[in-house]
Amino acid sequence: MSERSVSRRRQEKRWYTVLAPEQFDRAELGETVADETEKVYGRTIETTLGELQGDAGENSTKLTFRINDVGSDAAYTEFVQQELTRDYLRSLVRRGSSKIAAYVTVLTTDDYRVQVQPVAFTTKKADRSQEHAIRKLMIELVEEAATERTFEDLVDSVTEGRLSSAIYGEAKTIYPLRRVEIQKLRLEARPEEVAEEEETSVDVDDADVEV
Amino acid sequence: MSQQEPEGRWAIAHVHASFNNTIITITDETGAETLAKSSGGTVVKQNRDEASPYAAMQMAETVAEDIMAQGIEGVHVRVRGPGGNLQKNPGPGAQATIRALARAGLEIGRIEDVTPIPHDGTRPPKNSGF
Repeated sequence: MSERSVSRRRQEKRWYTVLAPEQFDRAELGETVADETEKVYGRTIETTLGELQGDAGENSTKLTFRINDVGSDAAYTEFVQQELTRDYLRSLVRRGSSKIAAYVTVLTTDDYRVQVQPVAFTTKKADRSQEHAIRKLMIELVEEAATERTFEDLVDSVTEGRLSSAIYGEAKTIYPLRRVEIQKLRLEARPEEVAEEEETSVDVDDADVEV
Repeated sequence: MSQQEPEGRWAIAHVHASFNNTIITITDETGAETLAKSSGGTVVKQNRDEASPYAAMQMAETVAEDIMAQGIEGVHVRVRGPGGNLQKNPGPGAQATIRALARAGLEIGRIEDVTPIPHDGTRPPKNSGF
């Protein structure tokens, strides 16, 4: 068999077991192959919340993990993203009702920068002023939640639906809501990256800016 | 190699089903390593048959055999159509592929539509009048 043959090269590859972060009890997420250890870094793996918790009802939430540390035959991951599946999100959209989405970038207490995207669905078409009020409230609540939580706690409260039910409880007085979800939560920068940005950033005086 | 460790691994089947072709790529769960792949041209002669459900079935069978030999027990399926400013729905090969994979003895996990949907991109092609 020639040196370049695929099956020969495949024999040199090793399988790594991908494990979830401690926050998710180091559950087994899956396996990946690679011929060199360096190639495993930075790969992402996607599972659903239901699979991690053994609860098939939660399968509309996707969680993405990125490999950041590799042992001899295990790869360790960090949480990078939570997202609702497209079919679930589409199933919530109805004719004659409003969808109110917001995009909030927040800094948690331990300096992780996270983007949170809450979305609310009303029972009937809401007025523009009501939409504005609900959106404002959502942004406030998300910001408040971030300033008093660490990154882990924030992820926890989003995946368990505590943040969305808090928004629901507050916002339903403005207009009757059908459902509130966090459609996406994305890790944008880690503490080191945030610190680095702050170091390299330059203060710009208003007087220096040419208008 | 698979002979030494025949445990049940899972993989992801990426199925790109357009109206002109069907492309099946089986990767590991991270999507970084390809385990097997096939497209319409490998099983039919006529270009117009590349997207047919029959071709998709043949492809899925060979691919399934290949990955089962590598110790894969089940697959999660990600189907997509051409997307972008083209049609958003998967073509005729998608459904046939999933069926054939299941019939070949692979377990089917989650099935998800991953068609790229623009949040408003470029202007779509003009209607060619069909």
